This record gives sequence, structure tokens and C-alpha cells, in this order.
Amino acid sequence: MNVIAEKSKRNWNALDDGHFRAEAIAFIEKNLPQELRFMKRRALWEEMKHWYLAMAADGWLVPNWPVEYGGMGLTPAKQLIWVEELERRGAPLGVVQGPINLGPVLIAQGTEEQRRKYLPKILSGEHRWCQGYSEPNAGSDLASLRTEARLEGDEFIIKGSKIWTSMAFDANHMYALVRTDKTVKKQAGISFLMIDMEQPGVVVRPIRNIMGHFEQCEVFLDNARTHRSNLVGKLNEGWTISNSLLGFERIYNGSPRHCVNALTHLERAARLTGKINDPVFIDRLTQLNFDVLDLGSAYESFAQTLREGGSFGNEVSLLKIWATETCQRITELLIETAGDAGGLFGDVAFGNEHVDVVLPFLESRVLTIYGGSSQVQRNILSKSTLNLPS
Amino acid sequence: MSQLTDMHSAGSRVEERRMLRASAADFVAHTVDHKRTRERRNVLPGYDRSVLKEIAGLGWNGILVPERFGGLGLGFAEMAIVLEELGKGLLAEPITASFVLGTRSLLHGDNPALKDALLAKIADGVLLPSVAWQEDAGGLDASAINTRAENTEDAVRISGRKRFVSGAGAADGFIVSARLGHDIGLYWVERDAPGLDLVYEWRADGTPSAILTLSDVTVKKSAMVASPDVGLRAVNRAIDETAVMVCAEMCGVMRATLDMTLEYMRTRVQFGKPIGSFQALQHRVVDLYVQQELAGAVLNEATALLDGDCDELIRARTASRAKARACEAGLRIARDAVQFHGAIAIQDECNVGLYLKRALVLSAWLGNAGEHRRRFASLSMAA
Repeated sequence: MNVIAEKSKRNWNALDDGHFRAEAIAFIEKNLPQELRFMKRRALWEEMKHWYLAMAADGWLVPNWPVEYGGMGLTPAKQLIWVEELERRGAPLGVVQGPINLGPVLIAQGTEEQRRKYLPKILSGEHRWCQGYSEPNAGSDLASLRTEARLEGDEFIIKGSKIWTSMAFDANHMYALVRTDKTVKKQAGISFLMIDMEQPGVVVRPIRNIMGHFEQCEVFLDNARTHRSNLVGKLNEGWTISNSLLGFERIYNGSPRHCVNALTHLERAARLTGKINDPVFIDRLTQLNFDVLDLGSAYESFAQTLREGGSFGNEVSLLKIWATETCQRITELLIETAGDAGGLFGDVAFGNEHVDVVLPFLESRVLTIYGGSSQVQRNILSKSTLNLPS
Repeated sequence: MSQLTDMHSAGSRVEERRMLRASAADFVAHTVDHKRTRERRNVLPGYDRSVLKEIAGLGWNGILVPERFGGLGLGFAEMAIVLEELGKGLLAEPITASFVLGTRSLLHGDNPALKDALLAKIADGVLLPSVAWQEDAGGLDASAINTRAENTEDAVRISGRKRFVSGAGAADGFIVSARLGHDIGLYWVERDAPGLDLVYEWRADGTPSAILTLSDVTVKKSAMVASPDVGLRAVNRAIDETAVMVCAEMCGVMRATLDMTLEYMRTRVQFGKPIGSFQALQHRVVDLYVQQELAGAVLNEATALLDGDCDELIRARTASRAKARACEAGLRIARDAVQFHGAIAIQDECNVGLYLKRALVLSAWLGNAGEHRRRFASLSMAA
């Protein structure tokens, strides 16, 4: 912890953006191996741990954390730059829940004891976290979750199951929303617990997805136990804790990155099939280019607000809706452009070159579902930004 | 979104722009009168002269005219603010035609004496220009014209037919594009020039669109706004600038239309509930909101580009992107506004129809979404 704190004592925010960007690029180029760039599936811990630890050593793993906890204390403006350069080089997501979600929650709302116990282990990679929120009967309606935790002496006894838990097979800890009061309004009876997965009461079943990969999992909790000190915040206040997303994360879901990637696949396929010269195709491609560029303009406006230290409300949901649905339209045109090859899985040959056609399409179907489905985002905008009645 | 971006402007301009927007909003609040909007349809000049006089009194007609020519010497961001607010009240006719396309065509030309002679009068509100750059087939190619200019010993003789001339209703003179050899020149032709004939086609919102027939119209050589060396570039630049400003007006039109629709959804009760509580309608109107915000975002990017040092190709591509989005968003919001209001919107008495028709007009002028997609694509291939 001391070594990390030393390196991140530099005042990164004082650097001008160009200088900071250069440092970010230099770090990534030095430490991110080619085989981890633009991977077609989520990277496993075994594959990316050297990269993870290299970032942790210099503070880059948790740039948004305060310096005293091993982070860089970066402003949202600088965070944006770091993320841009990561995306440009296709850096893997990997085991992100600790650095991105749990860490900030503990910093903002945990006890000093919890911070001392858990934050260093996120940095060292000893604890790898997954997020146990959704359940088979609680997806969009997350507040109706039923996994129960009962306090017996000094321990919570947990029974229930979680689903769509990303990379749970690679994690050894889970933070979960659990029901601790069944007599009140559903949001008011939820608590936020940290759970060690290495115990008999926790069983992980990876789920094969339509991409053919294992990423999401079911996690069965059958009398799993966790000490009462692993409750974050007060009992029955878990819902509010889980809803506190910071400004940067809120716009991140609506960034143009998925669209930009999808467009490169589409333009390649169009070039290789000759469709790039077809006037009808050109018109549809131009519309999609407009859709992505205009997304960029809108994203930039929200990003600029963050840079200036401002904040925004739920109108930011419009970015996720537009970004994800545009990405789907792009991959739909990709399938169409591929013609006969639009039904082939994997890297499809077009002459001497290859384009993966089906995988981008299947991956884009996920985008409008996870992280708050398009329908939920529309509900939010409708109520909170457009003031329409329920 | 445009309000959001007002706050991103540098330094003191933030406060000035906020005040300008408040002033324009105030002007609209005490001027808007859709009974009058209906009454002035299909009647020349297509707007209220008293309203235009007030606008001139506020100096807004001279926003894009440099101070040395008697204007306010402000930028496209400021013009966009005024146009957006005026657009909300359907009070923007003929601002873009005369005080953007007209003034900017003059400015980008290469006749300093003519600029001196005309721009100050325009800024003062005593001279109204209009630009005749298109011909029968319309389109965005300013060089695809047949109107011809011939140099005589001491004058220029112009013959041809121009169409889709906006803001002509009370124009004092026209900036006419004509072919001289292989090049395009721009010429100032007074309204009462012998040989100039004006007839009107009427647009969906009841404003006039003029057809100019020039039969050996003779102008002095000193009336050449832009020589054939610069004429095409001058008019193309003015067209791009105007297209972006039309986006600003369209943003105002769409915001007012959407706001009107949301208010209706909150208050109209059917089946025992406000129709705004029906999820199908909520989701559909959210999508309209998304389009509105996208249009505002690209408008802001385009005005910032115009106010900075901008490469011609980037300017043209961004203007096309902005116009395409504004047209699609504007028309879609207006169409859906009719749908959401139901039968009452089919009545002329309901204001929704007025906004739909203005959206049609703004979409068709200076290139609709399809035309701008084509232009963007061909500009991108040329790059």
C-alpha cells in the first residue's frame, strides 16, 4: 500500500490534458500486451493479471479513487482521457467490479475498517469481486429481489440465487443486494452485503451465452454466511447505496465506442463485398455515420459538463438508448451486407481477408438489455426528465 | 441541450449569451400570436413588417454583419440563439433568408464598395436582401445553373430564371447567381430593375417562395457582389452558414412542438387517466426527445465550427450532418405531435399544424435530410 501511495502522490490533475494523455499512452503501450487488445471475449483473470497488477502498481487501476487509498484522485475530465486511450487500444475489461464499483462504494459509504480490510486486496488482486444483483425473478424490477439474509448472532445467513453475475467463476468475492426486511416497501428492505465466495454455501454455475462464451453465471447461495461487519451502510439501506453512480460512469454507458467498433467491421465488410459503391448502401451507411457522429456531439456535451465540474440529471439516459440502439442498427446492416455469409459464425472469409459478422451482431443485442434496459431508460427519462405522469 | 452548451462558452460570453437568449425569449413571449400567424399566410410579404422592424430595432438583423459595416459583429452562436427563440414562436421569417444568406453572400464576395453601400443599410433595417441561387430543378449544386451573365461595354446583362427564392416578399434587391463562362458570379439586382419579373409559389406555411425571371436585366459592373473568381465559393459558404442557422430555427420549432405535445399528454385525460401515463406514448415521446437533443448537440458543434477557423470540407460536412438531423428530428417531432394530439391537430385552429408546416418548409429549403446524406457521402469520398 505504501509503494502504491508513493507513486500516486504525483499531482496528475495539475498536468495539462495533452501531457496527461501522453503519459497515459506511454503507460498503456508499455504494459498492455497485444494479445489482450481487442479480444473477442471477456479476458480471464489468468490472462490479464499481469496487466491488472501493472496498473495497480502505478495507480492506473483505480484512477478515480482518492490518492490516500491508492488511486490517482483524477478529475472526471482526466478519467475520460484515460478511458479514451484504453478504448483506442482495445484494453480488456476483465475483473472490474472491485475497482469500478465496490471500491468507490466503500470509499464513500463504508467504514474505515471495511476500507482498511478490503481496498488493498482489490489493488493486490487477492480479492476479485463480482456483482450479485439480478435474480431470475428480478431483472428490470430489481427491487423485487428475493435472496434473503437473516442475522443470526454475528453472521448473516444468506439464501437465494443470483443470475447474470458477470465473471463470477473468476471472482472469489461477491457484493450482493439481499432482502433483510419483508414487511416494508420493497426498496426499503434491501441491504448491501459483502460475501466471501470460497465457502460451501456458494455455488457458481457459468452460463453459456449465444456468443458461445461463458461470461454470466448463476450464483446459488445456500446458507452462505458473512460476518455482520460485511454489511455496507445501514441495514435496509442497500438500495440507495447501489444507486449512487457517479457522473463519469453514467456517461460511460453511452459512449460512442461500441458504435465506432461496429462501424469498422461494417465498412470493412462493405469494402470487401463491393457494397461500399452501392448508392443504397451508401445512403444507409451515411445515416449510421450521422447517428454515431451526432451521438459523439451529444456525448461531448455531457463530457464537457463533467470537465467543468458540473452535473447532470437523468437526461444522460438518452446517451445509452441512442448509443446501444445505433450499434444494433450498424450490426444489422453488417449482417445484411454479408449476404450469404451473414449466417456464418466466426471469422468469415471475403477473398483473402476476414470479417467477423455474427459475433458483433450478437454482442450488440446485449447492449440494450444490460446496465438498465432501453425500456427502463425510457421509463426514467419519461418520468424524471419529461415530467410525464405515472 | 442548446441551453446546456450556452454554459460551455468561454468566459464572459456565457453571461452575454444567457442575456441574449432571455431577451429573445421575452420578445417572443410578448409578440407571439398565432391568430396573426394564420392571418398573414398566403399574403405578401409573408411576415409582419412591424415585427421585423422591432427585430431590426434590437439589432438582430446585423448580428452576422461585422461592426465596421454597422452590424453587431457577433457570431453564429448568437444568431443561433436568436433564431431558436424566434423559431419557437414561428417568428423567424425572413431572418435566415435575408440576414444570414443575404448578408453572408455579400460579405463573402469581393466588392468592398458594394459591401459598404449595402451592409450598413441592411444592419440598419432599411434594406432587405434576398438571394436567388437556385433554378428550376433546385438541388444543392450552386454551379448547376443556366442563368447567364454577359459583360457589355459598361454593364452586365443577366438572363435566366431563378426559383425557390426565400425572403423575396418585400426584398429591396436580390443577389443573383449567374454563369459567366465556366464560372459563377453573384450580382446585386434591384427589385425594380427593368426586365426583372417576380411571381410566387406559396409554401406549406403560407410564406412566399419566389420565381425570378430575368430578361436581359442590366446592372452596373459595380453591382457585382462576387466576381467569377470567388462567386461559387462565396455562395457555397453562405449556403452552409445559412443551413446551420436554419437548423437553429428548426430546433426552436421542434422544442416548441415537443413541449406543446408533452403538456397535452399531461393534461388530456382519456380512459380515466392522462394519456401521458400510457407507456406506449411515453416511450415514443422519449424517442422524440432523443432526436431533439441530438439536433441541439450537432447544432452547437456546427456553430462552434463556424465561429472558429474552419476548413471548407469540414464546414460543409458538418453543415450537412446538422441539417440532416434537424430536418429528420423536426419533421418526426411534428408528425408525432399531430398523432399524439389526435383529431384536434387536424383542425387549422390547433397550433400543431402551424409548426408541422413550418417544419416542412425548413426541411425542404437548403437541402433535406436525404440530399444532405448524399452530399456528405460525396464530400467524404472526395476527401
